[in-house]
Amino acid sequence: MSAFNKVAIIGSGLMGSGIAAQIANSGTKVLLLDIVSNQSDNRNSISEKAIQTLHKTKPSPLMHKKNAALITPGNIEDHMHLISDCDWVCEVVVEDLSIKHDIYKKIEKFCPKETIVSSNTSTIPLSKLMNGFSNSFKEKFMITHFFNPPRYMPLLEVVPGKETKKNYINKIVEFSDIYLGKEIVFCKDTPGFIANRIGIFWSMVSTQKAYDLDLTIEQADAIVGRPMGVPKTGIFGLMDLTGIDLKDHVIDSMFQSLPKSDSFFQLYKPNHPLNPLTKKMVKEGYIGRKGKGGFYRLVNDKGVKRKQALDLKSGEYREIIKPNFESIKSSKKDLKKLIGFNDKGSIYAWEVLSHVLKYAADLIPVISDDVLSVDQAMKSGYAWKYGPFELIDQLGTDWFSKRLKEFKMDIPEIIKVANGRPFYRFENDKKEFLSFEGDYKPIPFNPESWALEEIKFGQKPVASNKSASIWDIGDGVACLEFHSKMNAVDNDTLLMVKEAAKLDKKGFKALIIGNDSSNFSAGANIGMALFAANLAMWPLLEQTFKEGQSAYSALKYSPIPVVAAPAGMSLGGGCEVCLHADFVNAHSELYMGLVEVGVGIVPGWGGVKEMIFRHFQNEKRAGGPMPALMEVFQTIGLAKVSTSAHEAKDLLFLGKNNAITMNRKRLLADAKKQALLLAKDYTPPSKEDVVFLPGKTARTAFYLAINELRKSGKITDHDVVVAKELANIVSGGETDIINPVNEKHILDLELLGISKLFRESKSLDRMEYMLTNGKPLRN
Amino acid sequence: MQKYEAPIKDIKYLINSVFKINNYSNLDKFKKINPETTNLILEEASKFTQNVLLPLNQLGDLEGCKFIEGDVQTPEGFKEAYNDFIEGGWSSLTFDEEFGGQGLPTIIGVIVSEMIVSTNMAFGMYPGLTQGAYKAIEEFGNSEQKKLYLPKFAEGKWTGTMNLTEPQCGTDLGLIKTKAEPITDGSYSITGSKIFISAGEHDLSENIIHLVLARLPDAPPGIKGISLFIVPKFLPNDKGELSERNYVNCVSIENKMGIKASSTCEMKYESATGYLLGEKNKGMRAMFIMMNEARLGVGIQGLGMSEVAYQSAAEYTKDRLQGRSLVSPLNPELPADPIIVHPDVRRMLLSIRSFNEAARSLSIWIALNIDIAEHHPDTEIQKNASDFVALMTPIAKAFLTDSSFENVNLALQCYGGHGYIRDHGMEQFVRDTRITQLYEGTSGIQALDLVGRKLPQDMGRLLRQFFHPVDKFIKENISVEDLSEIIMPLAKSFARLQQASAWVAENGMSNPNEAAGASSDYLKLFGFVALGYMWAMMAKTSHFMLNDEDSDIQFHQDKINLSKFYMNKVLPETSSLLSKITAGSKTLMSIKNSNF
Repeated sequence: MSAFNKVAIIGSGLMGSGIAAQIANSGTKVLLLDIVSNQSDNRNSISEKAIQTLHKTKPSPLMHKKNAALITPGNIEDHMHLISDCDWVCEVVVEDLSIKHDIYKKIEKFCPKETIVSSNTSTIPLSKLMNGFSNSFKEKFMITHFFNPPRYMPLLEVVPGKETKKNYINKIVEFSDIYLGKEIVFCKDTPGFIANRIGIFWSMVSTQKAYDLDLTIEQADAIVGRPMGVPKTGIFGLMDLTGIDLKDHVIDSMFQSLPKSDSFFQLYKPNHPLNPLTKKMVKEGYIGRKGKGGFYRLVNDKGVKRKQALDLKSGEYREIIKPNFESIKSSKKDLKKLIGFNDKGSIYAWEVLSHVLKYAADLIPVISDDVLSVDQAMKSGYAWKYGPFELIDQLGTDWFSKRLKEFKMDIPEIIKVANGRPFYRFENDKKEFLSFEGDYKPIPFNPESWALEEIKFGQKPVASNKSASIWDIGDGVACLEFHSKMNAVDNDTLLMVKEAAKLDKKGFKALIIGNDSSNFSAGANIGMALFAANLAMWPLLEQTFKEGQSAYSALKYSPIPVVAAPAGMSLGGGCEVCLHADFVNAHSELYMGLVEVGVGIVPGWGGVKEMIFRHFQNEKRAGGPMPALMEVFQTIGLAKVSTSAHEAKDLLFLGKNNAITMNRKRLLADAKKQALLLAKDYTPPSKEDVVFLPGKTARTAFYLAINELRKSGKITDHDVVVAKELANIVSGGETDIINPVNEKHILDLELLGISKLFRESKSLDRMEYMLTNGKPLRN
Repeated sequence: MQKYEAPIKDIKYLINSVFKINNYSNLDKFKKINPETTNLILEEASKFTQNVLLPLNQLGDLEGCKFIEGDVQTPEGFKEAYNDFIEGGWSSLTFDEEFGGQGLPTIIGVIVSEMIVSTNMAFGMYPGLTQGAYKAIEEFGNSEQKKLYLPKFAEGKWTGTMNLTEPQCGTDLGLIKTKAEPITDGSYSITGSKIFISAGEHDLSENIIHLVLARLPDAPPGIKGISLFIVPKFLPNDKGELSERNYVNCVSIENKMGIKASSTCEMKYESATGYLLGEKNKGMRAMFIMMNEARLGVGIQGLGMSEVAYQSAAEYTKDRLQGRSLVSPLNPELPADPIIVHPDVRRMLLSIRSFNEAARSLSIWIALNIDIAEHHPDTEIQKNASDFVALMTPIAKAFLTDSSFENVNLALQCYGGHGYIRDHGMEQFVRDTRITQLYEGTSGIQALDLVGRKLPQDMGRLLRQFFHPVDKFIKENISVEDLSEIIMPLAKSFARLQQASAWVAENGMSNPNEAAGASSDYLKLFGFVALGYMWAMMAKTSHFMLNDEDSDIQFHQDKINLSKFYMNKVLPETSSLLSKITAGSKTLMSIKNSNF
């Protein structure tokens, strides 16, 4: 494994400091250098300020605030020699060839033979960067192109030079993959590489066409967003996010560097009326979310924030008009239907797709020899759900080609190669892609890094229902997969949990719980519970609570080890299932919490119980039961949610020995490894564990705290009702500090508390609000 | 013979003892009423309806409306009755004082309209539609429109109509073709045909104000492109003085099964002048406001008809001597016993009566919530009340009218062959009641509204306003020993309703045909349980009142007995309904359309 001891980042701008933070997130030391400020006596002030900014940036580039301590600031005049113990020097300075050359000369002077050097340039060809440098420098130089923000965008484009040595490339790839969690796509040394080459073209076409077809920006975003598998920000919302000030810059760089035969020049109109509009916006500070607003803006109307949209024609803001395309409604995510429908939305959809997909297809093999890399780049660099060739497959290569002909557009070579065949197919339980040569090649399976989807091809689940399934993932290990909407836990999920807990009977020796979704689980499905509560079906509700408790207990005491592999949102019932696992191997991006109070209830499936036991077993805890219980009360009562796996450890949602995987694609493989390790010599946890809880005295203390909060206006009357139920559970109900209390006792208290709260109208209002608006109601 | 005596005692019992309306004196409209004023209104209303409207009922049915060259002539005596009606102040009971109304709560309106329906349903149509027009203009009109039209409605000088239906569209109003084109002065030119327009033309008032759904030239297609217009028969100036005749005409009246004294008109608009009411293209919203109140109103019509049919039948079965009691003769000195001695005759009578008294109670409960939804100072309570009204409206409309039709037939049955003879007036009830299951959305449409809209809305939030109070009531009273005979059956049926609701929600989510296939049975089950709850509440009230010194022991004993009858002989229907619901809709869909 290529763990690096230390990495140097030259340039501490937005990208440089972001990359530095992500490297620090991996636990690696970073040297962050920038120029000497001429405005300060402190010669490191620029890089120091960049580190301070990391703490304030949202979403945070740091997974834990203590990671900043791994970054050492400095300047390129005094500290360049410090790169001598770095494994990798990454240059992230302004896109100016002569400045870069100066930096490289300094690097060459100080860096040892084995230190790898790279540039994060997005516009300057590698050949120009290396012009005039020695062969030995060229051997260890490459382009490593990160995407903004580096913590959250998985794509890393790597452009090796002709002279770059293979083992240096491998080292960077391994480190970036395993430690930085990057998805590596190799690119050729062409302008914009892959993602930006297509992305900038896409953004140019979709904005100009929206204007030409007289669409509102809401309408445009509604078409080029969700229906095409693009985030709902569409194009105008995306430009607000990335900064409208960047637009001219990137267009310009394409303008300068692309060959004149490129389709870009046929479509880009330098005199397009959008250009003066965006120039004016930039001039006046309307550069997007980091400025006064952009194509959209939020206006504060007596404390209530309201979204407005820019009218492209008049340049004035107006109220949002919700787009209402029949084509979107009736096509239901079927791209072909969307295009085939006859309204303005479908005309626009075709205008954008025809040009963008054709453009991407035309670029094979110019920018990449295979369609796979192009699709991967767009998915992990632009967060598209489908790459261009996957989109063409949705339309059918034949259909697409005929339609291009109808519109008198040339047919790209790769489409001719496909000759009606899809770009991807499933053959012999394997996914294959079409090569430029016309034959299908298997997408290689990497046992260290896979998605459950790859294992599922051609396999029947061990057990399955509409909300969850159990899969055999080899070597005696099973995987319990949630697949309901938002992976919410419902009665069907619980049935599968129970089934999974007794997999020893089917010959399995370990279980992992994980899935391919970006969010592990949004929590219990409160929809059906709310419905039952509205119907006053109390016995049924209580049955559901008990089912959850017994399913999660079964998991905990299963004869085989259980490893949970959560990623993204893992809330409420989704957090509780992890709390009952023997081991958690989490993705670094973990948003975990017991957020039940947000919907007016308390954890009822053993969440409070597990947190009490954890806090009591915490070696670092202060003496006496109260500090530990207060922590539990606060963590649950304030619905604290971790913003990373590292934070989840602080909150004790993860144990201190639990593992963290940086690369989402490696998560399940890592979890499986852990499960096999545990299976070697496994005994289930003891059921005899007890704690000593203070009962009434603790409850009184919590009540006092709650009343204080109410008096100071920090919480509402209904918060008080919910908090008191929580206080009753955490303090142990009717008990005394001298009496041992077992799990069952606390579970019964949870049951009592949640049952009571489900009869509170205001709690039901909270649930309804959450389900309708996706955010909590403070009533 | 058609016989009617306003059920004043029952009404007073419901509003004072069961629903205790003096608890609501904090609501503006309730400040106006106290037991004395309520009493006075009830007495006067009963006199007017019994003495003026009832005698015209059969005559009006015989004579019907006449269409004479574009005019409609109501039956003899209707015009005088209408004049008495407005002089008595009955046209403006619940209208706002600001516009010349009396500002009384909706429950008073509901109580009086039941009496009007019982005595002359056809007559009631004319002021009934005015009520809907009033509400729409009050809610959506601008201040000039309100000032111009509302006082005239209150005085009864002008009446109103609702113009929705066209030959090609009834339930599906998205298909409306009537056009509205803007004119330079801000008004609109309305062109098109409307059918089934109740009170579209008549000779009772000096002007008729039509509220017309039409489509603007640039309107989006379908239901979202419909606007509402005010089209007066005579165009008024600002002061309300009438000038020119507008280009709206009645071209014919329908020859129909019942309510023959109510004119049902085909209207033609030929570039008639109209004024936009509310926002452009938001006509359906306004229409729904009217329709919701109108739907409850139709439910009340069902109740009113069932009540008069019961009274007429009860009287007849006490008088009609035929055969002997199967146990021992009641009238040995006479040639025969009255037929009321027979259990099966009593079954019919009690079925009707146990419906009537509970349905009245349900109507008052809903009306009370309309008042709370409109006037309660606490927005939370307001919202809960309006949830309740939204939930119960389709049930009140369909269940009350469907049951009513069965009831009037049972009442006719009590007459034997004489029921089939026109003079006895029973067949008129059957014909008159029949329309209530059809207009303002058929019973099937109400059932779809219930399972498709009201039940799933916000994960069942509306249901809470019915299920929680009933659940609480059962819990509180299940251990009251004397009531167990009543509460236990209610609890069982309530559990069936819960089970059915969960079934419909769960299965309807994955296949809407499952919800739709169960909808009518589900609505019926809901209706039975709702009336069961009303009976349990009444039984509890009477149980405790039996001990009051000055209470009417017989009245309360009857209530308790009726409650037990309902629990024993009516509520078990819920068991078969649940079986039908959970059997699913597969058998409904398995035969091909072409094979029907």
